[in-house]
Amino acid sequence: MPRTVLSILVLFIVGSSPLAIVVVGCKADPPGKAETAVMNWTKHKIFVHNKSQKNPVIDNAEGIADGKVAFSHYCVACHGLDGQNTGVPFADRMSPPVPSLAGKEVQSYTDGQLKWIIDYGILPSGMPGSKGILSDDEIWSIVLYLRHLPQAGSLGEPEMYSH
Amino acid sequence: MKLTIALPTILAAGMVVAQFVVVATPAQLAPRRIEVTAKRFEFIPNEITLKKGEPVVLVLKSADVAHGIRFKELGIQTKVNKGQTSELAFTPDKTGIFIGHCAVFCGSGHGQMILTLHVVE
Repeated sequence: MPRTVLSILVLFIVGSSPLAIVVVGCKADPPGKAETAVMNWTKHKIFVHNKSQKNPVIDNAEGIADGKVAFSHYCVACHGLDGQNTGVPFADRMSPPVPSLAGKEVQSYTDGQLKWIIDYGILPSGMPGSKGILSDDEIWSIVLYLRHLPQAGSLGEPEMYSH
Repeated sequence: MKLTIALPTILAAGMVVAQFVVVATPAQLAPRRIEVTAKRFEFIPNEITLKKGEPVVLVLKSADVAHGIRFKELGIQTKVNKGQTSELAFTPDKTGIFIGHCAVFCGSGHGQMILTLHVVE
């Protein structure tokens, strides 16, 4: 039954999109508070799977250091070295804006859900999937790093934005 | 009288044996060298069988960009610059199957670059 409701909702959204484009054009405004709250609830409860899987990477200094290295491969382009968007020039201009990974909305996901998000991304936000681009081990170590993010701004900005 | 003949003979024989031991030991322990080519997004070969306790040197050659290999369970890794070669010397001290991943981010298939070591008795 919930799937049927979901399907009808998706069909409604897809079907009404052309009309919406005609009326308001292709502009993407920042989401309002209500829209954000609904989407956050929907992601946490419905869209993002893998809630119960545990992180196999041991929570110690070595694991966190591995995660920091893996995170630096290309996550930093959007999330900054600290995972809190420091130095990312477009972070608040995207719709939805790039979230702080230290914030409650991200930290309230389980480890398994964070792994799932990094694996498959979140459409239609700008978050891409990284399955195959990064190894499982690297992704799990990133999840661990997300639990131990440094203080905002403490690592400076990504080198790519310094030139 | 007998002792004066026997002692030098034993010493001479010992020296001869010792020479064999000195010469033979390095040959027995000379590490096995295995060439592995790293290129986007595979290792060639991608499976290797080793003997526990047998010293080995993985000679990692990059055929394109910078790569690396890391066997987390064995605590060993090396990196290789674009088009160059590096060596990873080790002696596996336990049997099992160990998965090595590329240790330098090299592009869209980086996460699939795997080298499997089968360490047997």
